[in-house]
Order: sequence, then C-alpha cells, then structure tokens
Amino acid sequence: MRVISLAPMRHRDDVLTSEGVLPVLAALRDLLPNGGLQRGSVVSTADWGLLSLALAADATAAGAWCAVAGVPVLGVRAAADAGLDPGRLVLIADPGRSWPHVVASLLDGFDIVLLHPPEQPPAQLRRKLEAAARRYGSVLLVAGDWPGAQTRLAVTEEEWTGIGTGYGRLRARRARVVASGRGAGERPRSSWLWLPGSDGSVTTAQARPGAQAHDEQTVESLASSG
Amino acid sequence: MSRAGTAAPCRVLVLRCPDLLAAADEPDAPVRGVPLTAAFEPVVAVVEEFSPQAEVLRPGLVALAARGPARYFGGEAVLAVKLAEAVCLRGFACQIGIADGLFAADLAAQSGPAGLLIPPGETPQFLAGLPVAALGSPELADLLPRLGIRTLGEFAALPAAEAGSRFGAQGTIAHRLACGLDPRPLAPQPPRLDLSVQQEFDPPAEQSEPVVFTAKAIAELMHAKLSARGLACVRVQVQVQYADGQELSRLWRHDGLLSALAVAERVRWQLDGSRAGGGRSGEEGAGPGGIALLRLIPDQLVRATGHQLSLWGDAVISDRVARAAIRVQAMLGHTAVTRPVLSGGRSPAEQALLVPFGDTAMPSRPAEQPWPGQIPAPAPATVYPVPLSASVTDTAGKAVSVSGRAQLSAPPAWLMASGCPAHAVISWAGPWPMTERWWDPARARRQARFQLITDDGNAWLAVVQDGQWLLEASYD
Repeated sequence: MRVISLAPMRHRDDVLTSEGVLPVLAALRDLLPNGGLQRGSVVSTADWGLLSLALAADATAAGAWCAVAGVPVLGVRAAADAGLDPGRLVLIADPGRSWPHVVASLLDGFDIVLLHPPEQPPAQLRRKLEAAARRYGSVLLVAGDWPGAQTRLAVTEEEWTGIGTGYGRLRARRARVVASGRGAGERPRSSWLWLPGSDGSVTTAQARPGAQAHDEQTVESLASSG
Repeated sequence: MSRAGTAAPCRVLVLRCPDLLAAADEPDAPVRGVPLTAAFEPVVAVVEEFSPQAEVLRPGLVALAARGPARYFGGEAVLAVKLAEAVCLRGFACQIGIADGLFAADLAAQSGPAGLLIPPGETPQFLAGLPVAALGSPELADLLPRLGIRTLGEFAALPAAEAGSRFGAQGTIAHRLACGLDPRPLAPQPPRLDLSVQQEFDPPAEQSEPVVFTAKAIAELMHAKLSARGLACVRVQVQVQYADGQELSRLWRHDGLLSALAVAERVRWQLDGSRAGGGRSGEEGAGPGGIALLRLIPDQLVRATGHQLSLWGDAVISDRVARAAIRVQAMLGHTAVTRPVLSGGRSPAEQALLVPFGDTAMPSRPAEQPWPGQIPAPAPATVYPVPLSASVTDTAGKAVSVSGRAQLSAPPAWLMASGCPAHAVISWAGPWPMTERWWDPARARRQARFQLITDDGNAWLAVVQDGQWLLEASYD
C-alpha cells in the first residue's frame, strides 16, 4: 500500500526552523502571523520596494536561498545593507513570456521566490502558483497585487529625514507598514519602521509625532476595504 | 612570501625568433615564401614536443612553464640548450630566456645573443638594472626619466600604492612587472585534441527522446575520452543542428562532476527550453525538419583532480537550488539567471556585478576599497541598469542646469521622468559634483548629483551629465 504524506515536502532541513516558518527581521515580526514567513504561503507587498527585500533578508542570513524574478532594477547594495545575503540571491531579471513556468520551477528549489509579475495574472494562474508554493514548501513573495495572499503588506505613510530644500541629504525613511491578512481572526496590524535607517538597515521606529491620533482610523478603513 | 600577490611567479621559459619578430608588423607578409603565422608553426610544434603547455604570445614569441620540462630534462640550462638545438635544426635562430615570470623571461631572452638564464629568486636584481623603456609603455618610458626614475629598480623602489595612484592601472601593472611579479598568470594553450563527440540522425529526429537517449551514449564516450587523458572539462558545449541548418548551442557547467545521464538531462533541458522559450528564438515547436546532428564539445580542459567541494564559491549550493536555476537557464539562456556580487563604484549601478549562475567572476572594482564620492548610505533599493532620462524644471518652467562651477541655475521645482506625468519637487539636495577617470578620455565622466523627493512620496537619485538629467535610482 502506498502511503501518501499530506505534510508539505521538507527538503531544506538545514534552514528550516522546526515549525516551517522562515525567520524575518525583528522589526517585521509583529506584522506577520507566526512571526515569520510561513512555508507554503504567499505574502504580498503593495509594490516593489525595500520592504520586499527586507522580508527576505533574515531568512537568507539564516541560510535560505532566494530567487528574484522580474526585478531588473534590484539594488544589490540596498539589499545587502538591509541584511540580505547576496551570496544566497539569484536574479532572473526578465523571466520572459513564460514567466509562470519559470516561477513554478523556482518554487521547486528556492526557499523564497520574490516575484514582480510582469502583468496581472489571472485567478487560475495565481491558484496554480499558490499550489506550487504549498507543494514545495516555499514562500512566494509578490511585489504587487495578489488577491490570494495570506498576508498583504503596504506602506501607508512615509517621511524622509535629513533632507531639506537645497541642503542635507536623504538619511532615513520612517514608514508605517500596515499588514492585513486572510483567515481566522486576522486583524490588521501596523508598525512604524525605519525603511531604511541611516545605515541601510530596517529597524523599528518610534511613531511619527502626531500620527498616533488617526492610527486606529486608518487601520479600520483599510480593514473594511481589504 | 605567501602573502597574496607578492609570491614569486613561476618559472617561465620564453623563446624568441628574432627574424620572425622583425616581420611581425605585417602578419600577412610572407617569410620564406609562407605567411608569418604559418612560418612559425614548425617552431611551435618543436616547443610542444618539450611541453604541451606552450602559450604562443605572438608569431615569433612562445612561452612555457619551465618547471616541469626542466625537471624532466635535468635542469633549466640543459632544457634551454636542447630546445635551442631543436629549433636551430628547423633553420630558425632563437633566443631563450628563463626567469621568474613572463615579463622577466622575455627580457632575459632579449639580453645577449642567445638569451640569459636568471637563477630562481634573482629576477628582481636582474630587472633592477634595466632601463624603464623595457616596460614597453611609451608613456611611462617618456614620463619616468623626466621624474628622475631611470631604471626598473628605481621604479620598483616606489611604494606600490603610490605607483597605482600616480600612474593609474597601467602604473600598477608596470610596478608589479618591475618588482618581478606577474601581471597575469600564464594560460596554457589548450592541447589540440579533438575530444568532441557527435552523432548524426538520418533521417532527422523529430522527437527529442531518441536524441536524449543518444546523448547519454555519446556522453559516456566523451567521458571515456577525457578520463583516458586524465582530463576533466569545466563546461560542456551542447550543439544541436536542425535539418534546416539552424543551430542551437549552449554551454553547460560540468566541472567533471556530471554523469552521462546528467549530460543527457541537460540536452533534454536544452531541447525543452528551446521549445518552451520558442517565442524568444522566434519560432515555435522543435526545429522544423527535426534534429540532424548532436555534438558534445568539452570546453576548458583541466586536469581531473577529483571532486571539488565548494563548486559555486563560498556558499555551497544545494542540488535542489542548482537544479532549479539550471532548469530556468535552459528556458531563458545561460546569462538570464545571475548571481549578484558586490563591487566597488561611485554610482549605484556600478556597485553590483551580475555573474551568470554557474560561472565565477571577481569584480574588477573591489567593493572593500573606499570609493570617495559615492552616495552615503542608505543605498537605493531600485537601481536602473540604464538611467532613465528626465527633465527637471524650475518654477518658471525653464530647464534647471548646473554650471561648470556647480552653480545651480534655479532650484528644481518639477520632475518629469520620461513617460510619466510631472511631479512637484518638495525637497532636494545637491548638486554634488563628481569627476571620474579624467585621465581616460573614453571613460571619463563629469556629473552633478542630486537627491529629489517628489510630491508622490518618491525619493530619487538624479544626475546631470552633459546638460541632460538622468534618474539613476529610486529609494522606494
């Protein structure tokens, strides 16, 4: 009799924490369910940016491999400063017309696949890729809209410091990241982050003075829209 | 002695044929009734009888690593005499020099009617007495004597960093040469062995299965040929010829680690890839008319030394990752899958080098060096490989320009990237002038840099070059 295991395939034992959750930077832990990237799940960010890189950072530092598809503009220095190990990064700048094929192949090998879809994928295709991520126990990070994502992150407010009109320079960006999710009891959460801080790292920031007042309101409105 | 870069180079023998070199200005001109390159061929053949690792530098000049043959023939002097005799029998006058490193060996061959043998370790003393003209660089030969540096010894006495900063990359190389170090290691000419294997299909194979099956058989043959000579190949080139004459060729990493089955698998990926990526090569389906020929060519032969552990650099790549990456390479091409390497440079785009997966490359601009003038951290997360053209205007709608003295014509008020609506500039900083490589007209750059924040919240790194605004990166 053949026994079929229902557990997701575990092929990267060296990187795996026992629960099948890939670690993320301390500043991002509160935003994600289980405090990390659940293997087999899809996490989306509203658009391509440092946030997508920061999500993958700690896992690669722990030995996970990350493939980035469809981002020819990735700033490697910024990725490295955010804590991402460039030695565990593989870039596919242009996945071409058959990009779903490419992404499916990547999911069967890499722990994290960061995808910037060249076009809005149809629902059927999205479900196929979600199934591939589940099957291989990888994490699909999408930079862009992905309705089936377990967790969706977005930068809702941002403010650069250190620059004026004609003086100073960009030193750090204080950004408010809001996470909304699907499923049991998911309630929107938000954090203020240095994205990036003055040394390029991503850390927790104090809330912007005066921002606290309408925090709850924004979160609620996002929750009802999402 | 073991410090990187300062170890003495290996023993090199250089053989010069003065009468052929004299004619080298016109490579097509006949020497003794045959073209120059052909006239030199018998000499190369003689040298290759002494060592298979002969490197032809140019017609009339050939170098080889001296250590092995010298040991075989019982000393470097004996080797030189035997080699000179053999070449003279072919009717060529020759000079032979043996020294540490190619540069010194060439100079040794030129000194004296029959050349010189410089004992191991005495190369720096030999070089010290030679005039700086021996460096072979007209600029340095002109400049150094005017600075009071007449001999290589005096040049070598300068600190290496000073030579580099004063005379650029050329100076660094010249300084290494003057110190008796190697500018580059000797690359042996690959032995002229045909180790490729091929199979024709008549009638042409319409399906890929029989081709893959054949690939396994001929890969075994290729491996047998290689191992019979104690060689391994770094890469294997898979050539597929279609009946209509089209050819599909791709290099695959081998490193002597692939089994025949694994080579066959790569052939399958290549065929599948050409089908899946049909849109890229401009046609659908397996080549029209089927496959007529499959050829496997071992590329970059190296001595088989057994399996290496860290094949892919520092981080050991798991099989699974390698397989996924290679699979994607089969679909998109070898260079479509890359690994980033941090590199040095002043603009963000220069700070990363993309190396095709499976290859190894060192950045020519080391990242650890300080690069004064680079934009301080934080680094931009979005770096355009080709800067976007943009226009920046002041409140009156006039283009903002930067003078040669880094004076701004007016504060920037509007930024319009090509193809995007204009956005108001709410904060900005700059200009930071930067002049790069003024000594090299082909690569020199003069730029003024700005950081701009527009009202949509985006932060940009912009430069003005030749009056044109370009967006280099964005900090989103």
